[in-house]
Amino acid sequence: MSADNDPTGMTRRQLIRHGAWFGAAVVLTVAGGEVISHVAGAAGSAGAAQQSRPALRFAQISDSHIGFTGPANPNVAETFSHAIGQINSLGYTPDFVIHTGDLTHLATPAQFDQVKQMLTGLNTPRVFTVPGEHDSTDDAGQKYRQAFGAGTRGDGWYSFDIAGVHLIGLVNTLNMQKLGHLGTDQLEFIEKDVAGLSSDTPIVVFSHIPLFAMYPDWGWGTEDAAQALSYLKRFSSVTCLNGHVHQLFSKTEGNVTFYSGTTTAYPLPPPGQGPAPKPVTLPAGKLRDALGIREVSYTKGQQALALKDQKLT
Amino acid sequence: MNIANLVLRIVLSASLAVSGAVHAYLYIHGYRDIPAVGPGFLVQGSVFCALALLILAGGPAWLQLVAAIGAAGSLVAFTLSRTVGLFGFTETDWQPSPYAAITVIAEVLTLLLVGTTALRQRPRASKDPLLYQRADGAGEPSSRLG
Repeated sequence: MSADNDPTGMTRRQLIRHGAWFGAAVVLTVAGGEVISHVAGAAGSAGAAQQSRPALRFAQISDSHIGFTGPANPNVAETFSHAIGQINSLGYTPDFVIHTGDLTHLATPAQFDQVKQMLTGLNTPRVFTVPGEHDSTDDAGQKYRQAFGAGTRGDGWYSFDIAGVHLIGLVNTLNMQKLGHLGTDQLEFIEKDVAGLSSDTPIVVFSHIPLFAMYPDWGWGTEDAAQALSYLKRFSSVTCLNGHVHQLFSKTEGNVTFYSGTTTAYPLPPPGQGPAPKPVTLPAGKLRDALGIREVSYTKGQQALALKDQKLT
Repeated sequence: MNIANLVLRIVLSASLAVSGAVHAYLYIHGYRDIPAVGPGFLVQGSVFCALALLILAGGPAWLQLVAAIGAAGSLVAFTLSRTVGLFGFTETDWQPSPYAAITVIAEVLTLLLVGTTALRQRPRASKDPLLYQRADGAGEPSSRLG
C-alpha cells in the first residue's frame, strides 16, 4: 500500500500503535474515574464523609426591598419569592439562611409582615437576618427588632456557633451619617464574644454595609470597622458577608475575605459610575441576571469557606 | 535510550501524578459537592493519573501535548477561581493549603518539562513528524527503517 512507504505520512502500523495508546488513555481515564468515584462513594457511606462533606452549608440572600415600586423592578415580591424557591431547590437543606439586610424598602409594619411571612417559605431550620438602613430609617430599628430581634443583644447583634464555625451578625446601619457605624457597645460585644475562641476557629461575620472601604463616597464602608476587625486579626480564617451594594464583589485583606452579595430586587451601578447609587433599570429580560442568591459551604480542615453565587433563574 | 529523555519522562510523569492525585484527593474530601467544579476535579484527577502512567510507559509525544494543555487549563481554572470565579465558585489565595500550592507547582513543572522535551527533540522532529515519535525518541524511527 502506498501509505506504508510514504516517508511523511503515517504507516498502518503507526496508526494502529497510536490508536492503541489512545485506547489505553481512554480506558485508564475511565477506570481511574471509576476508582475515584468509588472511593468517594465508599467514604460517604462509611461515615467518613461526615468529615469530608461540608460541615456547614448555608445560603445568603440580600436586599429584597419588599415594598419597592419602580421601573427597576416592578415586582420585588415576585423576584424575592423566586429566590426563595431557588434556595429550596438547591438539592440539600441549608443549615440556615442569612438575609443580609434591607428586607423592606420603607420599614413599614406591613412590609415587615410580608417579608417575615415570605421567609417562612424557606426550607431551612433557621433564618437569620441583619438590618439594612432601609429597615431602620425612622425608628432606629425598633420595628425591625420587633419582627426579627428575638434572641439578639443590644440593638440586634448576635453570635452563634454551628459545626465549629463562629458566626457573628452585626448591625452597622444605626446612628450612621454617611458610612456604616458599629458603635462602642457593639465593638465591646465583638471583643468579648471572640475572646474565648481558639485562633483556628473559622469566623463568619454578617453585616449589611460592607466592613471594608468598597466606595466610601457612596457610603459603602463602615467607619469603625477597623476596630472590629482588629479583634479578629488573630484568627486564621475570617469571612465577612455583606449586602447593601446590590452587586458581587470580593476583597481580601490579610486573613479577612470580604464578599458583597447581590440583591433579589434591583441592581445598583458599579462604584463611582454615575453621581449616586440609584436603582438601575435594565433592558427587558436582563433583570434576573443581576439578581441572585449565594451558597456558602465550609469543610472541616479547610481554612477558607467556599462560595457559589447563582443568578436568579 | 537517551538517559536525559528518560529522566525528563519520569519527572513529567511524577508531576502529572501529583497533580492528578491531589485533585482526586480534594474531590473525595469535599469538592465533589461543588457543582461543575467537583466533576472537573474528578476528570482532571483521572486524566492526569492516566497520562502519568502512559507517559511513564513510553507513550507517544502527543500524550505530552495533552498533558501540557491539561496543565495550562488547570492553571487557568485556578486563576479564575481566585479572580472572577469559576462557574460562580471562588476561593482565596493558596487555599486549600497546601494542596493549591502543590498542584500549581506540579502544573508549572509539567509545562516546563513538556517545553524542554519539545525543544530537545526539535532537530529530529524536522525529519520525523512529532506525532510519529515516541516521547523518548525511541521505537518509531527504527520501526520505520524495518
